[in-house]
Amino acid sequence: MNNNSFLTASQQKARKKNFFILSILVVFIVITFVISMNTGVIKLTPMEVIRTLFGFGDAQQQLILYEFRLPRIIIAVLVGMGLATSGAILQGISKNALADPGILGINAGAGLAVMLFISFFPATTAAPVYLLPVLAFVGAGLTAIVIYTLSYKRHEGITPMRLLLTGIAVAAGISSAMIVLTLRLSPENYQFVATWLAGSIWGSNWKFVLSLLPWLLILFPFVYAKSRVLNILNLGDLTAVGLGASIEKERRWLLAASVGLAGASVSVSGGIGFVGLIAPHLARQLVGAKHQFLLPASALVGGLLVLLADTIGRSILEPSEIPAGIVVAVLGAPYFLYLLARVKE
Amino acid sequence: MTVLEIEHVAIGYSSTLIVDDLSVAIPKGQISTIIGPNGCGKSTLLKAVARVLRTQDGAVYLDGKAIHQLKTKEVAKRMAILPQTATAPGGLTVFELVSYGRFPHQTGFGTLRKEDYEYIHWAIDVTGLREFSDRPIEALSGGQRQRVWIAMALAQGTDILILDEPTTYLDLAHQLDILLLLQKLNKEEGRTIVMVLHDLNHASRFSQFMIAMRDGQLVVNGNPDEVMTKENLQKVFNIDATMALCPYSNNPICLSYQLYENAE
Repeated sequence: MNNNSFLTASQQKARKKNFFILSILVVFIVITFVISMNTGVIKLTPMEVIRTLFGFGDAQQQLILYEFRLPRIIIAVLVGMGLATSGAILQGISKNALADPGILGINAGAGLAVMLFISFFPATTAAPVYLLPVLAFVGAGLTAIVIYTLSYKRHEGITPMRLLLTGIAVAAGISSAMIVLTLRLSPENYQFVATWLAGSIWGSNWKFVLSLLPWLLILFPFVYAKSRVLNILNLGDLTAVGLGASIEKERRWLLAASVGLAGASVSVSGGIGFVGLIAPHLARQLVGAKHQFLLPASALVGGLLVLLADTIGRSILEPSEIPAGIVVAVLGAPYFLYLLARVKE
Repeated sequence: MTVLEIEHVAIGYSSTLIVDDLSVAIPKGQISTIIGPNGCGKSTLLKAVARVLRTQDGAVYLDGKAIHQLKTKEVAKRMAILPQTATAPGGLTVFELVSYGRFPHQTGFGTLRKEDYEYIHWAIDVTGLREFSDRPIEALSGGQRQRVWIAMALAQGTDILILDEPTTYLDLAHQLDILLLLQKLNKEEGRTIVMVLHDLNHASRFSQFMIAMRDGQLVVNGNPDEVMTKENLQKVFNIDATMALCPYSNNPICLSYQLYENAE
């Protein structure tokens, strides 16, 4: 029996609208994908791109697309999806619309790990590049554990508010430690760290795609399966318990998933900040508050946002680049001000 | 018959005890109301019954089983809770929120089944929200919003309903409206209702069992005739009450009151 028959006409319409919005987002990503493939110092026409994708391009075109542009584009989309989903989870469990992975100190922790490595092993050349994502991930994870332990209280467990406040405090502490560390750095290394922190998608290589993809493949299905739990955690502790959710346990797992997604993303992209905050916001405007739609919509908006930002960042000041994180911030800040202005009314 | 047994519970936050060694038995199929001054531990007691707060001593028993040892999902199939300040995330519609009430009955990915839809539609109808079911909750008035939360608790399909001040922030007519709805659910479907109310006369008029608390302890419990006396109101609220009879329920009500000269 078709369950949809229990829904009123307007509810069915709302469902259809949401599916339509999700497909539109996919279409936008594909369009940006093609544009991004054409973007770069060496111009390729859309026709050449499509020909090369189907295996009819010359050697140079193949090299550019398969070894440089394609992995970078895929990483941009994956990073955006990971960060946005991470932010959507945090906003869901904390009931705080301003929560994002950056607030949990994840970016700062990853950044500190990268910086420590570079300041103590400044001479190492080619090898450490592949170590960096691992280090960044460890840094992010350790920071999350520290914040969780500091905000844990017996009898009461973790309250979202304390978690956020501790996160902000720890992130501030780490940032100041990083400023001290910059004094040790040579100008070239400083340059690298600064670019890293600004969120340039620096790991544009298939190896990084492979280091990021498994995390998303494992964590996305897990998080989607928790949509219903996120829905009711969003109603507050009392209601969630009343409805039969083990809030402590659920929150811990969701938090771990959120840290995993953000840590993995940040480790290959550098500190892209705004996506985890803004993508879930945009998604909520588009599909509403139910996580069954909100999570995929956030992921798609996030992927689109980072891909768009990276494409703009690569093309606007050719041949030099603006880190995607900065472009996201430039795009995101006005939207955020608009949101604030609307709340005031 | 007793459905919820509260035995020698001590409840508190960190080191301060708010409820100390309190025992009371909640009768099945009746409306029970907890009354008492601000800060006497009414809501705290309700939170312990709702298993949001752990008891530091003693236990709450649901049908003879310690509630903290039962699976939280199993408890949620028996007992629904309406907190004092419930807020819905923006953009959520009435139907969506009410459908969340089916959470304890769903498994796996949780698509709603026929039975779930029946409960949801019944809850929306019985609370008179049919015409609003596709509206976002923030677009409703305070009284309608309170009905939506009650509808969600009803969709949970439990025989026990626990409500923390369900009439706060509502005007006189809407307060009565909610209480009459609860009375109907109790009379027609035999649901056990436990609530905290600030309005003594509403408490007396609508409940069969009253629990009066002060300073984290039980002062008196019993039917409204036993609890709503001049002496008890002095003990509980430190007021000099002039008593009368409610023309609708024939239960005692407090017509007006004065503070005692030596009141703290």
